[in-house]
Amino acid sequence: MKNVAIVTLKGIFRDRIFHGILVNVAFFVLIPSIATLSMRQVTELSLTLSLSLVSFILLLLSIFLGGTLLWKDIERRYTYSVLGLPLTRGRYLLGKFAGTAIFTLFVSIVLGVATYLVVSWVSIIYPPERAILWGNLTVCILFEALKYILVIAVAFLFSSVSTSFFLPVFGTISIFLAGNVTQQVYEYIHSASGSALSPLVCQVAVGLYYILPNFSAFDLKVNAIYGIPISLSGTLLTFVYFVLYAAIVLGLAVLVLSRREMR
Amino acid sequence: MNRTIIILVLSFVSYISILGAFSRYMASRPIAEKLGYVPSVEVVKAVSADQKELVSAFFVTKVLLYFGGLLEKQQNELPIPPDYPAMSRMIHGAVQLDPYNMDAYYFAQSILVWDVGKVEIANELLDYGMRFRAWDWYLPYFAGFNHAYFLKDYAGAARYYEQAGRLSGSDLLKNLAGRYLQESGKTDMALAYLYAMEKGEKNPAIKKSFRTRMMAFQEVRHIEIARDHYRQTIGRLPATVEVLIQEGYLRTPPVDPYGGHFYLELDGRVATTSKFAFVSTKSVGKKNKVQGAH
Amino acid sequence: MSAVSIHGLSKIFKGKRGTKVVALRNLDLEIGAGEIFGFLGPNGAGKSTTIKTLMGLITPTSGRALIMGKDVSSPEARRHVGFLPENPAFYDYLSAAEYLTFVGRIFKMEAPQLERKSEEVLKLLDLWDARKRLMRGYSKGMVQRVGLAQALLHDPDVYILDEPMSGLDPIGRTLVKEIIQDLKQRGKSVFFSTHITSDVESVCDRVGVIVKGEMKCVRRVDEIADGGITGYEVRHIATGSDSPESITVSTSDLPAILSELQSAGSHILVVEPIRKNLEEFFVDIVRQE
Ligand SMILES: Nc1ncnc2c1ncn2[C@@H]1O[C@H](COP(=O)(O)OP(=O)(O)OP(=O)(O)O)[C@@H](O)[C@H]1O
Ligand SMILES: [Mg+2]
Repeated sequence: MKNVAIVTLKGIFRDRIFHGILVNVAFFVLIPSIATLSMRQVTELSLTLSLSLVSFILLLLSIFLGGTLLWKDIERRYTYSVLGLPLTRGRYLLGKFAGTAIFTLFVSIVLGVATYLVVSWVSIIYPPERAILWGNLTVCILFEALKYILVIAVAFLFSSVSTSFFLPVFGTISIFLAGNVTQQVYEYIHSASGSALSPLVCQVAVGLYYILPNFSAFDLKVNAIYGIPISLSGTLLTFVYFVLYAAIVLGLAVLVLSRREMR
Repeated sequence: MNRTIIILVLSFVSYISILGAFSRYMASRPIAEKLGYVPSVEVVKAVSADQKELVSAFFVTKVLLYFGGLLEKQQNELPIPPDYPAMSRMIHGAVQLDPYNMDAYYFAQSILVWDVGKVEIANELLDYGMRFRAWDWYLPYFAGFNHAYFLKDYAGAARYYEQAGRLSGSDLLKNLAGRYLQESGKTDMALAYLYAMEKGEKNPAIKKSFRTRMMAFQEVRHIEIARDHYRQTIGRLPATVEVLIQEGYLRTPPVDPYGGHFYLELDGRVATTSKFAFVSTKSVGKKNKVQGAH
Repeated sequence: MSAVSIHGLSKIFKGKRGTKVVALRNLDLEIGAGEIFGFLGPNGAGKSTTIKTLMGLITPTSGRALIMGKDVSSPEARRHVGFLPENPAFYDYLSAAEYLTFVGRIFKMEAPQLERKSEEVLKLLDLWDARKRLMRGYSKGMVQRVGLAQALLHDPDVYILDEPMSGLDPIGRTLVKEIIQDLKQRGKSVFFSTHITSDVESVCDRVGVIVKGEMKCVRRVDEIADGGITGYEVRHIATGSDSPESITVSTSDLPAILSELQSAGSHILVVEPIRKNLEEFFVDIVRQE
């Protein structure tokens, strides 16, 4: 598993994916000037923009790496040579996943550092009214990374089923969008205005709420931007949720891949 | 090969030649079109996935750029009625996406309250914001001003000022409500408020809007002083602003930066035909007609 | 213990809209330790399907297969196997040396041994100069050589090679034959598929012919030579002549002709059987279908 992870990482770097990300990091340079558009919250806006850029880059990364890595191995028939080695499909898949996840964490650290630099620079020029909580920012970026690692896991599950890369890429995008609104829908259903909905719709929505990944839990942007305290127990719970959900999704992916014919 | 180069050069030249016209067209497009339309906040919320803060900031920036462009056009004597309902919708959308977005509250308080006069809606917005930005003294401060100045609800204002004072740790704010209790102090209160706001503002469009309003209120204050002086000496209210000028109580004729002109209400209050808002040529014409009927 | 044993193996590929392809039909095969086995068959006969099943890449519809006594569904079955896939492809963002390191680690080779063996196989397959270049830039034959190198790297006891000569130049083909002969000397078992009968003839102990998913026959290569006598060439010097002449006779006619010649007083120099070569043997079997 470790060896597959190392080789996967090597492949990601050799395919110049990190270079591509560095090009995107150039956008950080623009953030301070865009942030001055704000009337009352220049630092907050710079944080918003930086964190959005971080998530956007991680989103692209997770969908395209997660959606194409496995597919490419199968498509280019690398699987014949690799799975002909004494390696279980599970180890192979988890190794690939670990490599991708490590890369995502690494990119998050790089983007996190860029965010720190940009925001501290802006906050020197336009001192914010409320002190920036750097701890919150760190936790926020960490959870962004976890969220997108979960997205990668979902993409791997799709990749293990599909023979094309359309399902992994578009399926993952749909799950990502859906996973960001389930909380909202769930709250709507349980609100006064939701009681008008038919019970079947409610049941389906609640079912989806429990089945789909709840990405809103990982969104601590507001806490980082406006310095709102982060609940320790909440983040711990979210972390446990992450571990369990990722384990389930990857477990399913391993199961599917193990039954799949490499033909 | 050569053909490719010729086609390339031709396209490039054509591209350059239309660029001027294209950018002129884009610049001349009606602003309302540019501000766009906020579909449903629920939909936007769903689509913006984990980027709600960004989309919220985008909405406010859009409104701000729209408003800035509007002021610029005003200067170029191209009066277009500002689409206040659209701006208001966008601001509401923005705070629903990111209830912490201070720019949205600030814009609502700086522009919408004065120019649309929808104080109640603004106050609701501020109350909503206070639930989230619980640390921020600006929101109760704004609400206090709105209650005192627009609604003349001095008790309510005092409550908000108290809260603002508590949050900011400044006694000054707590006393504000009491200081301008009477109608006579109203213009002073507005001037003090506007002065403070203008000083803290960086955005040129908003700053300019504050400055214009301050100029208008200073003129109102001058007329009020002349009016009170007249009443003291003559013993009754002057009939018109023109009387004050003719009799030497006002040294220079007052100028309304919004393009209207000042008049006195029957009870002596100073008013202006512009209602302290830029008006489109069309509606100015209408106003003139109304005045002619007087 | 057999190196490879296959019992009643069948594979049906189910395509879209209920189409079925019977790729293997009740295949039985036993390959002993130290044996070199050639797997012959026309295109689409099921050679690669058999090999993929052996490597656990596809699951058989029925039947089972063992390598060194271990069921192929377990990755442990592959631990003692060097496998060369058909038209192999390897992570092209790695160099040959890096790929061998990766493979060696998966086989849990010790670092010094891995380094030594890696150098050995790279030199053997004439990849030493190119070892640091990314495989992206390799020619087809070079990739095939990498495939052989990674199969040889951990010095396994069993080799399963799907068309090892394909894509190689004549020097490469000769090299592969030499390698297989060397493996035989060292008591290893080799199971390889091919279309080229002369390759089988020169290195194999036994050959199996598969046609349309069925194993048509399994023979010792030397037996094919013995069993396939189509006639005899008789060289003799007739009475009164002093130059030898040759006549070709069929097997059934031989005794009669011989006694005829003898009674005529001819001096018989040599009676040589005319053997069917493997190529004809193969073509005959395929034509029977
Ligand atoms: N993935 C698949 N789906 C459907 N049918 C398949 C699949 N793979 C192989 N087959 C069919 O199985 C049969 C055997 O194919 P196989 O690849 O084993 O042949 P082969 O003997 O290796 O041929 P070649 O000499 O051309 O390599 C063929 O009829 C082929 O069409
Ligand atoms: Mg084949």
